[in-house]
Amino acid sequence: MSGKEFFLNRYEHLGWEYREVKLRQAIRINQTNAKGKNLVERLKSLGVCPEKIPFLDEGYWVQRSHVSVGATAEYLLGLYSIQEAAAQIPVSLFTSLKGKRVLDAAAAPGGKTVQLADLMVNSGVLFALDVDKRRLTALSNHLERCRVSNTVVYLLDARQVSQLNVKFDRILLDVPCSGNFASDKDWFKNRTMADVERNAKLQKEILSKAVDCLKDDGEIVYSTCSLEPEENELNMDWAISRLNLGIEEVNCHGQRGLTDIFGKKLDPSIQLCRRIWPGETQGFFVCKLRKRGSSA
Amino acid sequence: MNARAMVNFGLQFGVEISLNPDLLVQKNGRFFLVNSALKPFTRRDFYYAGTFLGKAKGGKFFPSFNLLGMLAKTEANKIVVDKRTAWLFICGRDVFSKGILHMYGAAKKGGNVLVLNEFGECLGFGKIVGNLGRKTGDSEIMVKNVLDIGDFLRRER
Repeated sequence: MSGKEFFLNRYEHLGWEYREVKLRQAIRINQTNAKGKNLVERLKSLGVCPEKIPFLDEGYWVQRSHVSVGATAEYLLGLYSIQEAAAQIPVSLFTSLKGKRVLDAAAAPGGKTVQLADLMVNSGVLFALDVDKRRLTALSNHLERCRVSNTVVYLLDARQVSQLNVKFDRILLDVPCSGNFASDKDWFKNRTMADVERNAKLQKEILSKAVDCLKDDGEIVYSTCSLEPEENELNMDWAISRLNLGIEEVNCHGQRGLTDIFGKKLDPSIQLCRRIWPGETQGFFVCKLRKRGSSA
Repeated sequence: MNARAMVNFGLQFGVEISLNPDLLVQKNGRFFLVNSALKPFTRRDFYYAGTFLGKAKGGKFFPSFNLLGMLAKTEANKIVVDKRTAWLFICGRDVFSKGILHMYGAAKKGGNVLVLNEFGECLGFGKIVGNLGRKTGDSEIMVKNVLDIGDFLRRER
């Protein structure tokens, strides 16, 4: 069960017709560092043409540029980060992050970690975990470049988060996933349903361990850059029936979550998730969760 | 090596920085400045915490850009360079006299000086090899590049 035709047939059954996607480069302004620095004008003076992304507060498309946006002094000083547009959405879904205890459960290479720290205005404590030591180097460089000062990083599998003995106010589960063809040109060649099922199982394990460390009034944002429902809607359907979680309405880019997956009817609240098919951005899926019975 | 290494490093720029030793944590020769909220979470094995200040290797101290940024906010010796010089500096090049717009502090030949762009942002530091206060030829190298923010790109190669 693999190959381009197999996966495109699945997407068609889910209501989406395949088309080639050319991703536009996007940046995100780090407000904590760039405040008062007139960054957009500075970028324009360098020959970068930024265009505001309508569905993001701090995101800009790079329309064209005479310089590499990954090599400007402004980038190296941490005034902005290069971050794909859809990847900027999950962190933006949390309510008030300032002063909170926040977990980034699968943090490397750190784009969303820096975004969290920025919205926390370097207050509270941000716990960043990753299981791959080599990727922690990239994460550390990212934190240093962006002058992040509220984060502690551990080499730790997200499934062992209980070892930290911390109850979190906010948990970002940008879980390891199968990815999608828009950001990987060999995706159809390399991926099989076995990969998808293995990832879906890992994601459930991470989710169930994370819930144990969530405060009663805490929030979880679950996200993947996978298009496969096993890693998205089906996992959320499992979570609300098994982990005493409820899905919160979010107001962001994307379509409603699917509630009919190849004939299987899911809980109607799954439509509150957001599914982003590749087009303006890469493919993505986001869902905001709370413990049932907690006040929003 | 301990907090003294960072204080000594600051002295090379003519300032004495004060760091609360209770909030300084060390991991494999790397120094981090944390706050009281973070400190309890550094008791278990961590990889990175708070503000990275630099690392000690072979008896030498290598500063982070966070530490340089902290020094830049003090009365440390510094020069402000023009746009073109700033760009060349982050590409690893030295600073020529004609690129220097302003100079602060008592920078002397053989000492270190922070290099700032026209926005007052610290791009790195260098060693003074010319007479900064003296009128010289435009093409004389004044500051030899020691460390610049282009290092973020070089270290990932």
